[in-house]
Amino acid sequence: MPINSAVKKVRFAALMLAGLIAAGARTAGAHHGFAVFDTTSQKTIVGIVKEFQWTNPHTWVWLDVTNDKGTVDTWGFEGMSPNFLGRRGWSRNTLKPGDKITVTYFALKDGSKGGAFLSFKRPNGEELSMWKGSPTEDN
Amino acid sequence: MVTRHMTRLGKLTRTAVILGLASFAFASASFAQEFKRPTPTAADWAALAKLPDFTGVWEISMGPAPSTSRIINPAIGVPSMRPPQISLTPEYAAKRQALLASAEQDNQSANCLPPGMPGIMSQPYPMEFLLTPGQVTIVIEAYSMVRHIYTDGRPLPEDPDPNFFGTSIGHWEGDTLVVESVGFSTQTEIEPHVPHSDKMRILETFRLVDPNTMSIETTVTDPEALTAPYVTNRFLKRHRSWTIAEYICEQNNRNFVDKSGKAGINLTPPSDASPAPKH
Repeated sequence: MPINSAVKKVRFAALMLAGLIAAGARTAGAHHGFAVFDTTSQKTIVGIVKEFQWTNPHTWVWLDVTNDKGTVDTWGFEGMSPNFLGRRGWSRNTLKPGDKITVTYFALKDGSKGGAFLSFKRPNGEELSMWKGSPTEDN
Repeated sequence: MVTRHMTRLGKLTRTAVILGLASFAFASASFAQEFKRPTPTAADWAALAKLPDFTGVWEISMGPAPSTSRIINPAIGVPSMRPPQISLTPEYAAKRQALLASAEQDNQSANCLPPGMPGIMSQPYPMEFLLTPGQVTIVIEAYSMVRHIYTDGRPLPEDPDPNFFGTSIGHWEGDTLVVESVGFSTQTEIEPHVPHSDKMRILETFRLVDPNTMSIETTVTDPEALTAPYVTNRFLKRHRSWTIAEYICEQNNRNFVDKSGKAGINLTPPSDASPAPKH
């Protein structure tokens, strides 16, 4: 099966990020660094969107996940700023409460229920990453 | 001087001398406040049309740079130039080592304290240039900040209050805007974990390299902290359809770095009663 271009972007991004951190490069300009996240591997999780916060300095995807005991935990995934996403194909309506999605993320090192949001996939196959593409280049 | 025997004229003179000295002292510290820009004339407004077109909203892009110097930083989502080496003096190299050794996992920007100059100019968010008589104003979307560059002929202040962006004086050399900035608080850093002294000075040159690409060369000098000027180059691309969006960092900030330097994250889900976390 051919690799979806959105997945390719996420894999490329993750490789680059891992390389940058290994080289001790600054995360130039980011609101904060990635110290709390394990960027060495990407994880996935399935859940129902509880809320999508379209806020600065980060958007947040709150995901209700059924655990192995059959009860529900709410996980929190931190995304890029709406200022950034809004110029790259996202809007505050991209994710709605009740949406079932698979989230790809960097986990929190301390094992808390959350992480750095990388991309999501819907049951119908639609995928969207934080870095959909270049911003609009119109002049 | 014995007051009891002072004549009335003597007392007045003494008061005048004291007031005169006091106002002289205040004048040098607040010199920039005393410069009064003349009212712009119609000719002043018309003269702006002869300047290079810096108007509009711009954002950092790669520009005409060799590919070996490019790095893709997914933390910010846009490509950026590999930063050059910073040559610190022994004293400041030691300060930097102390900062790194204090196990600070993150910068104060995690606590929503914006970076000062020069870092505020390399954020992955757009900025808008406004040209008015005697001034260039840069509206910076990151943290909703503003820089004022005075091009009305006022001098650089001799004793500026130290602050995050310094005091900036600019002039046009042909099609290039040349800006000098002084007066930086040591609360800020040249780059994350790279300290500077209160003697830091920044020189920037802004010019169009093509109709919709602006180059900014930034030279940081600091006789106490740097053994050589720290020069960076970046390119901005213009986006005519973009507008500057609001960026209130404390709107929903769930990140923090605490006093011990440990980075953390607040995963308490929002509720109707508390959509954003209270610190």
